[in-house]
Amino acid sequence: MLYLLVIGPILAGIMNILFSKKDTRLFIVGVQVAQFLYALRIFIQVRTDGTIFNFMSDVPDGLAITLMADIISSVFVLLTTTIFLMMILFAFHKEYFNTQFAFLFLVLQGLIISLFLTTDLFNIFVMLEVSTVVVAILIMFNKEKQAIYDGMIYFFVNVIGTAFLLLGIGMLYRTTGLLDMRAISVAITEVENPQALMLPFALMMTTLSLKTAVVPLFSWLPKAHGTPSAPPVVSAILSGLFIKTGVYMFIRFSAMFEPVIQVQEVFFVIGFITSIFGFIMAMGQNDIKMILAYSTVSQIGLIMIGLNMGSDIAYWGALFHVVSHALFKSTLFLAAGQVYNQYGTRDIRQIRGVLRSMPLSGMAIAFGILGVTGAPLFNGSISKYMISYGSYRPIVQLGLNLINLGTITYFLKFGTILFGKDNRAEEAKPPKEDRLSELLVFIMGGLILVSGLLGPISMDLLFGYEIEVFSTEYFEKGIVYALMIVAAAGIYNGVVKQSGLLDRISHIELTFNGVITAMTGFFLFMATYLYVFL
Amino acid sequence: MKPLDFITGEIVGILLFFIGLYGLMTKKTIVKTIMSMSIMESGIFLFYITINYTSGSVPPIGQDLSGVNYVDPVPSALMITAIVIGIGVTAIGLTMFMHYKQKHGITHWSRNRNQTGSEH
Repeated sequence: MLYLLVIGPILAGIMNILFSKKDTRLFIVGVQVAQFLYALRIFIQVRTDGTIFNFMSDVPDGLAITLMADIISSVFVLLTTTIFLMMILFAFHKEYFNTQFAFLFLVLQGLIISLFLTTDLFNIFVMLEVSTVVVAILIMFNKEKQAIYDGMIYFFVNVIGTAFLLLGIGMLYRTTGLLDMRAISVAITEVENPQALMLPFALMMTTLSLKTAVVPLFSWLPKAHGTPSAPPVVSAILSGLFIKTGVYMFIRFSAMFEPVIQVQEVFFVIGFITSIFGFIMAMGQNDIKMILAYSTVSQIGLIMIGLNMGSDIAYWGALFHVVSHALFKSTLFLAAGQVYNQYGTRDIRQIRGVLRSMPLSGMAIAFGILGVTGAPLFNGSISKYMISYGSYRPIVQLGLNLINLGTITYFLKFGTILFGKDNRAEEAKPPKEDRLSELLVFIMGGLILVSGLLGPISMDLLFGYEIEVFSTEYFEKGIVYALMIVAAAGIYNGVVKQSGLLDRISHIELTFNGVITAMTGFFLFMATYLYVFL
Repeated sequence: MKPLDFITGEIVGILLFFIGLYGLMTKKTIVKTIMSMSIMESGIFLFYITINYTSGSVPPIGQDLSGVNYVDPVPSALMITAIVIGIGVTAIGLTMFMHYKQKHGITHWSRNRNQTGSEH
């Protein structure tokens, strides 16, 4: 009955439109709670009885459209329902939470869940295309000039990217005659000429790299996630959850092609470059939302590093980082939205004293920062520790520490909004945010700490991977962390504040044509690499 | 082998895909972007419906199929969906563009995004 998770929210969205005269918000919250409980039930069932399959018709396995919940996808689905429940509660009293918004939001939930569950390639294409439309409309929800421009770039770039996937699926179908991912991964070993698989692989990886926003295809991400007027819940969902569909598909597709094509080294290097590029760009930004958006680029790079390191512990560490990133990034985006509402600006140099004026949101931001920078006992530290545990090569360790140093540096910059004196005049302050949303941001911040404190337990609960985290080595990392804060403070005050170079770098961006050219270039690079080295 | 045998639906489809891609890379007008996108998609549709076609095969509906080669119906079925999605996507793209043009008078992809933060 996995399809209930997919059509449930969509039906609820339609109901919400049918009864748009009445107040449907409580109904939507009820649907979300039901979704969460059902996802929890599926999750428990998967953990006790193993993978669940749900065939959509009576034709033999491999031909039918199949929904599959295994350990990874059930965790992702549980995460989706949790975050959506939180978001709906957060937006409960906001003025943008009207009928259209609720409809689009619920449809997006159904689409994300079906992306996590389906094993049919064409289904994935359809879901990606429709979710692109929905997300583009959500981005330009307030119809401001900048938002429409950003939404259009997001829309066109992603539609064109998905066209690559469609052509790739066609070529794969031509060779194997199948559309089911599990069946293909079996059939692929019997393909006589592996060269026939290289072009589809390159085409599909172009789309997935676009969706995961790795170098050089990340330019759309800061525009879409950091667009000024988009409601904070939209930014939080995009950055916390929607980007993970790309990561998830990357896992699935590389598993599908694994018997024939392995390109882990390439994506390992790409992950490194992405991560480093992300933090360099983030350092120069002055807009709180843009800092968070570039931080997402950097963290996705870290996840790609872990996934492609080739060691078990780093792989599960990267998956745990997906969960922890979803928690702290959506918290930070929600809190940033609250701060923007209160202060009327997103310029980091003009916001001061958040911790005093909005204690709950301020605490949540503090927790989020500690989580993302990997402070001991917060969830980010567990996943980062596991990723760095995966390799003892000095260059990898150096790179990971460099990335963490960069992360701490730009979050020190971000953290300056918490302290200092609030310079706003008393009468200029808008009315306080509603209690529910303040409380919810705080609860999400608390989850960051809880999932970190219970790190090994949550790891075991979520993925069934047992690990002894709290060892002496882990606490040694804590000392390294403290040293890094000192170093980062030095770098921040010495280099970032003074240097005009970073400011100039941070304004480099590709035009629309540039993005498409980068996409074509990436495709050509992948194809050449495969033909030359494999 | 006849001289024009290499012009199959698959080859033409792939060519159309890359012609569309070329348009997307070089044209700065938003309308031309939408047109190039359509060309690209048509290329894909053509590629799909000629997948694994052998000459002399018949459509798989409405006739006795014993002993004859029939066409694989799956790609055509997929393409009906993809064409519908393509139409929807083009329509939404045009709607966005028209709204943007009428409100702000902009028809080209601009060079730089205005992102100073403090101005909003």
